[in-house]
Amino acid sequence: MSLYGLMAAFADPEALIDAARGMRERGYRRMDAFSPFPLEELDGILEIPKTRLPWAVLVGGITCAALVYALIWYSVEVDYPINVGGRPLHSWPPFVVIAFEAGILGAAFAGFLGVLVANGLPRYYHPVFNAESFTYARGGRFYLLIEATDPKYRKSVTKRQLTRLGAEIVEEIEA
Amino acid sequence: MTEASASSPAVLRGRHDFPEISGRIGSIVLSGRLPRHFWTAFFLCFLLVLLLLYSITYLISVGVGGLGINMPVVWGTMISNFVWWIGIGHAGTLISAVLLLLRQPWRASINRFAEAMTLFAVAMAGLFPILHLGRPWFFYWLLPLPNVHMHWPQWRSPLVWDFAAISTYATVSLLFWYMGLLPDLAVLRDRARSRPAQLFYGILALGWRGSAFHWARYQVVYFLLAALATPLVVSVHSIVSLDFTFAITPGYHSTIFPPYFVAGALLSGFAMVLTIAIPLRWAFSVEDLITVRHMDNAAKLMIAAGMVVAYGYVSEAFFAWYSGEPYERAMMVQRAIGPYAPLFWTMLGLNCGLLQLLWFRRIRRNMPLLFAIAIAVNIGMWIERYIIVVTGPSRDYLPSAWGEQSLTWLDFGILFGSIGTFFALIFLFIRILPAITIFEVEELAEEEGKLR
Repeated sequence: MSLYGLMAAFADPEALIDAARGMRERGYRRMDAFSPFPLEELDGILEIPKTRLPWAVLVGGITCAALVYALIWYSVEVDYPINVGGRPLHSWPPFVVIAFEAGILGAAFAGFLGVLVANGLPRYYHPVFNAESFTYARGGRFYLLIEATDPKYRKSVTKRQLTRLGAEIVEEIEA
Repeated sequence: MTEASASSPAVLRGRHDFPEISGRIGSIVLSGRLPRHFWTAFFLCFLLVLLLLYSITYLISVGVGGLGINMPVVWGTMISNFVWWIGIGHAGTLISAVLLLLRQPWRASINRFAEAMTLFAVAMAGLFPILHLGRPWFFYWLLPLPNVHMHWPQWRSPLVWDFAAISTYATVSLLFWYMGLLPDLAVLRDRARSRPAQLFYGILALGWRGSAFHWARYQVVYFLLAALATPLVVSVHSIVSLDFTFAITPGYHSTIFPPYFVAGALLSGFAMVLTIAIPLRWAFSVEDLITVRHMDNAAKLMIAAGMVVAYGYVSEAFFAWYSGEPYERAMMVQRAIGPYAPLFWTMLGLNCGLLQLLWFRRIRRNMPLLFAIAIAVNIGMWIERYIIVVTGPSRDYLPSAWGEQSLTWLDFGILFGSIGTFFALIFLFIRILPAITIFEVEELAEEEGKLR
C-alpha cells in the first residue's frame, strides 16, 4: 500500500478556492480539486489545460456527414443507378438533409465518448474514494487533493499547511 | 403565493444549503416513500399502457383497416399523433439546450424532467410512423442495410429523412440527458444506503468523482451538445413538415410549413411542460425550487410560440387564396365550413383564442388556471395536427373522390394508450432518477448567494 496523497475537505467553495490558491503559491503543482458542481476559478489555479475536445466534436461531425454522403453517392451512382423521372442520379439537395442529421449524430457521439475517454471514465476504482470524508451524500463538500508525487510534498508540512488554510479534515489516502 | 404580486419572482425561493437541496431531491428517489396518489396515478397510467399494448396487437393482427382511415384520406391519427408527440419533445430540448446557450439561470430546476419528457415523447412518436406502415415488421427497410433485396432506401423521400432525423434526435437527446445525469448519479450513489441502490447508481455514475479537470471538459462538451441539439430540433420538425409539403396535395404544399411546425411544436411542448410541472411541484412540495417564475416564463414562451402559430394559420389561408389555385382555395373554405369545421373552429378557439388569456400576469401565475389552459392547448394542438393531416386529402383535386375518414375506438385506444405510457414512463423516471438537477440547483443557490 503506497500513499497516494493528502485529501483535505472544505465546507464551502470559497474555502476550497482560497486553499487551492494558497497551496499553489507554496509551490504545489500536482493537485486536484473535487466539487459537486463546477467551479470556474479552479481552472486557472490548477492550470487546467484548455480542452481539445471541440476539435474531436468537429471532426466527428464532418467525418460522419461525409461518410453518409459517400454512402448515398455510392448507392445512387455506383451500386444501383436507377433513372426516376429523368432526375439526376446525384441529386445533392435531398442528400444533404440526411448528411446533416448524420453529422449531428457523429458530433454528439464524438463529444460524449470524447469526454468519457479524456476523463478516463468509466473508472470505478480511484484512490480518492478511499478517503473516509470523500462523499457527495450531503451535497456540498469541497476537496483538495495533494498528490504524494508532488516534489514539494512533505507529509507533516503539507498537512499543517492544509489545516492552516482552513481544511476541516485532512486525510492520508492509499493508492 | 406571496410573491404573486411581485414583478419578477426569484428563480429559487427561500434560503437553501447543499445538504438540504441534495437531500430533498435525492430522497424522492432513494426513500421510495412516494405519496399514495402517485401510485394511484401510476396505476391508471398502467391501465392505459395495457390498452396501448392491446391496441397495437390488434392493429398489427387486423391491419390498418382497423383505424378510421379510408380512401381518399389514408393519413390519419397515426400521423397526427406522430407530429404531436414529436412537437412535445421539442420544448424539452429547447429548455435544456437553448436556455443553456442563452445562460438563463431559470432552466436549472426544470431542464432534467424537460429532457426526460423529450425522450419519452420521442419514444412515443417513433411508434406511430412504424404502426402506420401497414406492415410494421418491415420498418427496417428504411435503413440502408445490406439486405436480401439488394436495394437501397429512396434517399429523396422525406420518409427516409424522417427516419434519419427522428433516430438522430432520440439518440442525441439520450446522450445529452445521460451526460447531465452523471454528476447527480454520483450524488445518489453516495447517498444510497441499500446495496442494490448503491450498485445501480454506482454503475450508472461511471465512477464520477467531480474532479476539477473533469468538470472543465464536461462543461465544454455539455455546452457543445446543447449547441448541436439546437439546430437539430429545428431540422427535425422541419423535416417532419416536409413529409407534408413534398406532396402537391392541397393544404400540404406550403412553404410556411417548416417554421410553422417548429412554432407549433414549441407551443404544444411548453403546454406539456406546464402539464407535468404544475402537478409535480405541488405533489413533491418543491414549489421553492420550481417557482412561479418558471411557470410564468414557460407561459410567456407559450404565448410567443402561439403567436407564430397564429401567423402560420393566417399565412396558410392567405397563400391558399393568393395562389389563385381553385383546389387550394376550395380546400381552405372546406376546412372552415366542411365536415371538419367543428374541429377547425375548436382548434382556433383553443390555440389562438384561449391562449390570449396568458397575456395577463394574474392568469399566468394562477396555477390551476394555467394548468387548465395548458391542457386546452395540448388538445388544441392535437386537433391542429389532425386537421392538417386529414383536410388536405379529403378535399383533393378530384371532387368526385372527396371523402372523409372516421375515428374508431382503435384510433383513440392508441392515442390514449400512448398518453398513458408517456405518463407511466414519467412516473417511473421520477421514482428512479432525480427529476431536478441537483448540481445545477446547487450552483444556482451558490451564485445567488442564498447559501445558509
